Amino acid sequence: MNAKRNYSACSGCSLCLLSCPVWRSTHDIRLTPHGRAKAMQHGASANDLRESVESCTLCGACEPACPENIDLLGMVSGLRASSPLFKRRVEVGMDGVLPAPTDEISTPTILLIDHALAENPALLESIIQHFGGSLAIGVARDSGFDISHDLCDGIAIDEERLANFLSPLKTTLRVIVADGHLQHALKTWLPGVTVVSLGEALSTLPQVRQQLRDSDFYVIESVAFHRDHARLISHYDNLRLTIGCTMNLDLQRMAIPTTASARHSGKVNVDDQVRWILEGRQPSRIVVEDVADIAAFGRVTDTPVVHLANLI
Amino acid sequence: MSASRSANAVITNAFGNNAAFTCRTLNLDIPVIDIGTFPADPVAANSLQGIKRQQTNPKRWNEPVWGEFVLALRVSDVEIIEQKFVSGTFATDAGGTAYGMPHGVVIAKDAAQISTLLQAAQQYKVPVTVRGGGLTTEGESVAFGGVLLDMTGMSRVLKIDAENLSVRTQAGIFWHSLAEALRRQNLDYLSAPLNMTSSVGGTLGVGGIDVNSARLGCSADQAIALQVVTPTGEIVECSDSENSELFQRVILGYGQFGVITEATLKVRPYTPLAMHYFYYTSLSEAIADLQMLDANDVSDYSGILTMMDKVVNLLVAFDSDQRETAFKTDWLHRLRGHGEFGIALKMALYYAVHPWRWREALFLRERKNTLFPEFRRPEHMRNGKVVDRTVVFSRAVWKHWGSRQMVIPDLATSPEKFIDTVQKANLVCKKYFPHYTLYCVGIKLRADHAPHYEMSCIPPDAVTHAYGCEFEPMMGDLNADAMYSRDTLQSFKNEIYDIGVAVGASYYRFGGMMKGYIRRVFGDAVVDKHLAMKRKADPNMILNRDVIF
Repeated sequence: MNAKRNYSACSGCSLCLLSCPVWRSTHDIRLTPHGRAKAMQHGASANDLRESVESCTLCGACEPACPENIDLLGMVSGLRASSPLFKRRVEVGMDGVLPAPTDEISTPTILLIDHALAENPALLESIIQHFGGSLAIGVARDSGFDISHDLCDGIAIDEERLANFLSPLKTTLRVIVADGHLQHALKTWLPGVTVVSLGEALSTLPQVRQQLRDSDFYVIESVAFHRDHARLISHYDNLRLTIGCTMNLDLQRMAIPTTASARHSGKVNVDDQVRWILEGRQPSRIVVEDVADIAAFGRVTDTPVVHLANLI
Repeated sequence: MSASRSANAVITNAFGNNAAFTCRTLNLDIPVIDIGTFPADPVAANSLQGIKRQQTNPKRWNEPVWGEFVLALRVSDVEIIEQKFVSGTFATDAGGTAYGMPHGVVIAKDAAQISTLLQAAQQYKVPVTVRGGGLTTEGESVAFGGVLLDMTGMSRVLKIDAENLSVRTQAGIFWHSLAEALRRQNLDYLSAPLNMTSSVGGTLGVGGIDVNSARLGCSADQAIALQVVTPTGEIVECSDSENSELFQRVILGYGQFGVITEATLKVRPYTPLAMHYFYYTSLSEAIADLQMLDANDVSDYSGILTMMDKVVNLLVAFDSDQRETAFKTDWLHRLRGHGEFGIALKMALYYAVHPWRWREALFLRERKNTLFPEFRRPEHMRNGKVVDRTVVFSRAVWKHWGSRQMVIPDLATSPEKFIDTVQKANLVCKKYFPHYTLYCVGIKLRADHAPHYEMSCIPPDAVTHAYGCEFEPMMGDLNADAMYSRDTLQSFKNEIYDIGVAVGASYYRFGGMMKGYIRRVFGDAVVDKHLAMKRKADPNMILNRDVIF
């Protein structure tokens, strides 16, 4: 893989627009990766691009589409980093919502949950059981919510904070991550440790795959998928062929995001996005990887919506 | 001059001395030229005095009335964006050789907004340049001052009629986005450029060629009806039966007679493609086979894509198993192309006896290794069939052909003239560039649309079919050691177009920087007729000024 390039390499082909939820919603080129890169080529400052940067959902569908291999997500976080608007911080993710089921260091696999999963202990328990129970998998006490937040906003992460966060993860064999942004960064931060998304980890389990039906509509979590698109497209294509189900993939094979769990300025209406995902489709059941998508689909359709971990 | 004749010539050399000599030739056909007297030094500092400099790009419009115009638009609630970095977004097109800055950008919202814009533009005589996907290569969608109207703001599909196989859509939509919506109903458009970010309106204005155009015609011929905002701001619905004269002018009209805001298009049931590739080392054989298939309606898709003129790929594809079977039974044995193994063997033998061309061999091998898997990406294949042909081709085109600068001169001829024309143009391309691609495809014509074709890319002598070819040199990142000046690129295009003038061809890209060819190609009578119509429809010549007139 060639090194990622910066905005200067944008030739204006517009391929990034085709899978962009903000483009689909607004049809305003200024609010797209193409618009941002071209504006920067013509001298735009971070402040000039404030509205554009705030509107981005960071779903990442633009990056695999870019033939110039531009770091389009890095471009957004870089612009956020130089904007005073994105200097706010959330509380450190020592959330204490749930006690860790086991001592973190002793389990071969550690699960890093996201906000939505933290609020759904029953689902969390189901996930733990799928991976062999609390002896096999531990839930990290420190979920790194603040670090994920800083990654999205281009804020430099405090070295000591990062070291504390990574410390228990370095001694394990595998880390399963519910947050796509965090998962992508952990792959760099934890060499030698297998880092996978929760969606990929669950959809690889035979007992989960056995419960999927050809009449299901499977909703891939977009951030983790697009961050590792070249590899994961085979995984999900194989799943689709094996099961015969349909998925939230567009014709470019990008995952159409609901944006339900994304932080953005609201240019994308989640309900409209869900309606578009379901247009022309009549599944018997909707299976989601992202916990936040359960509510998003539930608001728009009467079709049963279930998380991948709750199929059994 | 006969080769066996001797000739005498007297020349005056640069030093003013006369010198007489005899040139006795045996078998060489050397023309004898009376060189006469040398003119003044052609590269002297004063050599261009009195000669008007030829300007390729139009002069930038820049009038003080702009401020009043903007005020008038704002009063009418039309947002005009004047930030330089937004104007800069539209500073060039896919060609990347024409640069121009609009004074302001309007993002299209609806026909009423565009009507208001054009009425004000007429009143204040402000030029308006309309842009869809910006995939022009000669600066046709670049605004040299005035307003840039970004039609992609109107990108919604309005109604899909699955029963009657038609769709009504806003015209700024990319064909790919239309395909996304149609696929949900298991439908597809008929034909569209193999580029996902071509816009519907832009394509209908110039033609639109697909690998199924030999069977289904160009994209412009699939339009059933249009909503058009005329240059004076009237919002008009037109079709072959309603306001047909406007319909004739707007289709293939290079944006001169109105802004297409909505289009009703024919659609068809979606089918995956069974694709076959045949490889040739002879361009003429490949084209002859292509024309044989087209003339006999053998395949649903056909076209030629080459790696220089060394490996010529004839693509043949089918929508149905039935037609594929008939092809295999009745036509396959008549094709002279090879399979992958056959061409690899042939090329290996060729380069074994031409070892000094090892760089070329390496280039071809690298190109094969890069491109072939791209056309067979597993996620876009099902049961051996291609499920998203435009995605596959378009991604490959952008990734492996695209660069910051592109020139793609093209020629369109009647079937009879095509092989000879392509061969001549191929020699020109080869002379200028070590690495290039040639794309050829047939276009079925509609007899009832003959008025649409006047002064368009459809050559006047083509009756049932036309054939188009385009040459794309590889530049920039793809070939880092091959950077070319604009002068070289322009000379290359001119030389290709000169062939077209000589054989009576037409062109897809005759606007923008190539508009100097329009009168040579179409003749004064036709151009003056269209110019008179344009002046009547657009009294102040504000709409897409300088694109062709």
